[in-house]
Amino acid sequence: MSLFFLFALVIGLTAIGWFTARMRAAQLRPTDGFRAHSLPSYHGWYVALWLGLPALIFLAIWAIFSPGLIEQSVLADPAAQVLPDSEIERAAILGEARALADGSLGAAFNPEAEELVPAYQQASGFYGIIGTIATLLLAFACGAFAFLRVRPDFRARNRVERVVMWVLLIASLIAILTTVGIVASLLFETIRFFDRISPIEFIFGTQWSPTSTTFSDDPGSFGAIPLFWGTILIGAIIAMIVAIPLGLMSAVYLTQYAPARVRSVMKPVLEILAGVPTVVYGYFAALTVAPAVRDFAVNVLGVSSASSESAMAAGVVMGVMIIPFVSSMADDSLAAVPSAMRDGSLAMGATNSETIKKVLIPAALPGIVGGVLLAVSRAIGETMIVVMAAGLAANLTANPFESVTTVTVQIVQLLTGDQEFDSSKTLAAFALGLVLFIVTLLLNIIALGVVKRFREAYE
Amino acid sequence: MNATTASTDGRQPTDWKTDAMQRRIRARYRAEKRFRFYGLAAVFLSAGFLAFLLFTMVSSGARGFTQVQIALPVDFAASNIVIEPEQLDGNDREQLLALADFQGLAQESMVAAYGDDGQALFSNGAWVQLRNAVSDDPTLLNRSEVIWMPASTEIDFAARGDAGENQSEERLAMMERYQALEEAGQVRSALSWTFLTMGDSSDPTLAGIWGALKGSLFTMLVTLALAFPIGVLAAVYLEEYAPQNRWTDIIEVSINNLAAVPSIIFGLLGLAIFLNTFHLPRSAAIVGGLTLALMTMPVIVIAGRNAIKSVPPSIRDAALGVGASPVQVLTHHVLPLSLPGILTGTIIGMSRALGETAPLLLIGMRAFVPSPPDGLTDPATVLPVQIFLWSDELNPGFVEKTSAAIIVLLVFLLVMNGLAIWLRNKYEQRW
Repeated sequence: MSLFFLFALVIGLTAIGWFTARMRAAQLRPTDGFRAHSLPSYHGWYVALWLGLPALIFLAIWAIFSPGLIEQSVLADPAAQVLPDSEIERAAILGEARALADGSLGAAFNPEAEELVPAYQQASGFYGIIGTIATLLLAFACGAFAFLRVRPDFRARNRVERVVMWVLLIASLIAILTTVGIVASLLFETIRFFDRISPIEFIFGTQWSPTSTTFSDDPGSFGAIPLFWGTILIGAIIAMIVAIPLGLMSAVYLTQYAPARVRSVMKPVLEILAGVPTVVYGYFAALTVAPAVRDFAVNVLGVSSASSESAMAAGVVMGVMIIPFVSSMADDSLAAVPSAMRDGSLAMGATNSETIKKVLIPAALPGIVGGVLLAVSRAIGETMIVVMAAGLAANLTANPFESVTTVTVQIVQLLTGDQEFDSSKTLAAFALGLVLFIVTLLLNIIALGVVKRFREAYE
Repeated sequence: MNATTASTDGRQPTDWKTDAMQRRIRARYRAEKRFRFYGLAAVFLSAGFLAFLLFTMVSSGARGFTQVQIALPVDFAASNIVIEPEQLDGNDREQLLALADFQGLAQESMVAAYGDDGQALFSNGAWVQLRNAVSDDPTLLNRSEVIWMPASTEIDFAARGDAGENQSEERLAMMERYQALEEAGQVRSALSWTFLTMGDSSDPTLAGIWGALKGSLFTMLVTLALAFPIGVLAAVYLEEYAPQNRWTDIIEVSINNLAAVPSIIFGLLGLAIFLNTFHLPRSAAIVGGLTLALMTMPVIVIAGRNAIKSVPPSIRDAALGVGASPVQVLTHHVLPLSLPGILTGTIIGMSRALGETAPLLLIGMRAFVPSPPDGLTDPATVLPVQIFLWSDELNPGFVEKTSAAIIVLLVFLLVMNGLAIWLRNKYEQRW
């Protein structure tokens, strides 16, 4: 009997348990003058949980361990004595025999696999019956135990609600589990990486050429300074030069000047910029912006070394992507400035722009700075734009028309080449990931701290 | 009184009528106008960039939905395909069609109609069209018929008037050939659904996005099935039942941090945990869905908490007051009232997951997958990754395909976000 069928059977039994327990509870007569404590459906749920949960948990454990048990008994079969000793060949033949036995494969490639089919069928039939009997026994035993407790004074509701609470708690613990998973996987691989490459060299080295490891024992150069610089140049400098003025001025115009109708149209339009997938920006940057930037640099500015994968193109497009973040954070901070400050300034005879420049923006500055920091953390973690528009060469240059590479580009590059998981290259990607994780986390903590302190000052 | 105050501290009142003052006021008003103009310019520059991006995509992607086709007279009756139309009614229809030599028939017809180099005019996989045509209408086998077949990439360029950068002789010859075909009315550019119905191919004239769409669908199903229940349950716990203690703080901090972690980190997590520890199949929709679910869950939790928070406490108190249990308060009142907000947040989170590329590259969903996936564990790719893969292709024929795929992706996102806005406007209650 297949696991899926067994699963469906348990679900069906659970449903039947729910109905019968509810019916029985509905027919209960008051004893000793008490009315029933819980509604009939709670008795139903109580029985259904007892019937289904233990059986399903057993089924899950059985699904993990039974293939191993079946394989053990097949290997003990006389026909298995002729199998080769090599672990890989053995696994291949066993896999083939399994596929033959359950009918997903028509004909065998290895003749040995054909021999093992009867043994396989016998073993899987045997363990299938054991699994079925155990599951059904468990379901019936637990179900009967719960069913016998359906009495008027039984507090089924409290029991059921306790299970619900546990489910809620477990769901929220998954967030912690994910965080722990991220930190553990990054940290574990990074430590293995630092066994081979010294952390000092990684953080302070200026030579990045990991590709030389593929064909030789030379560990390659893993100095990440050029990557950090490239990331800062694109994400924190060029993108911010575009995003801060545009985002801030858009927010100022839309909150302080624009008529309500213009505001209600333009605000969603700007938000669309944040909703466009980054791969679209990347394609746009590579196809349209990058050639234009190069031509501009070569023909107008006379920079003959301008690359078609310049930091400029990726940075400008990333800046446009960031505009809505800066703008909405600035919007919130400007709105949080008490109107008395604005009114006071206007009453003194200051013009609107003077009020904005000398009163509103200084008062909202912490919020705006927090928003910019969040935008920077977003920009340096952004991947697709730089993968598609920025280069792969790790240059340490301040010229925005040359090609630079970033941390995220290198992570993608290192992990999509060869599939060997233990090479220094793949481990280096995790080390870069850890750096990225820590930096974005710090930026977020600082930004939220700044914003929070500012909010407290005015509320 | 003014005069007395002024005289006591020895200052004259400002004379606003002097030229210097007038100039100063004019300068201040000019500055005001300038500042206002900068604001307007910033808004229009941002919006203009969006418009330019959309215009570029639409103008270069529109051709991706069309196909240049050439008329090919095919004499099925005289061919060496000996199937009778009646035979195709049987169960072995697929097998009969697969065994018949439509490729040979196509080649013969091409040579017969357009000379020895006739095959160069047509796309490599064009002969499949013949089989499909026969499959649709078996009576063709007794006739001779003109079939419109997809043209080769070279003809496609010629149709666009693109002579290439170096204007090679072959290219120019092909353009002349195209002119001749056009004058004879043997070539057309037709709207073609093959872009939406075919899988990936290395030939741009045959490449389609159906495989990627199906992969996206499977991935999103897994993401939704995991992220939605877990996200809502976690939001309910944190907002309604969580005690004020250290554990709750840790849960809250980790959810807020997860929402800010760059997406590529989730790709690293998926690679290290799902692929290398649990040995789930590479490139499969289930791994992509799991990874994106971890990424989407915090978004749903945060949106869900805001929605639950906006349900006024008086409703909870009233329900508790008439004897409802805590879980009944939740299922009878709080969840139904906050559902529109939760769903809006979920749709926004899902639309972000649909456009996500970077984490999926790391878990191997960038493989070339010519046939659409049939299950959660089959190798698959998703729409944004397909766009990325095509953008890397050297064949310039893929440019318009990439833009066309982008149009499809943007339409999906637009529909999802529109749905979210509609839900919010229709069901949102202000208390």
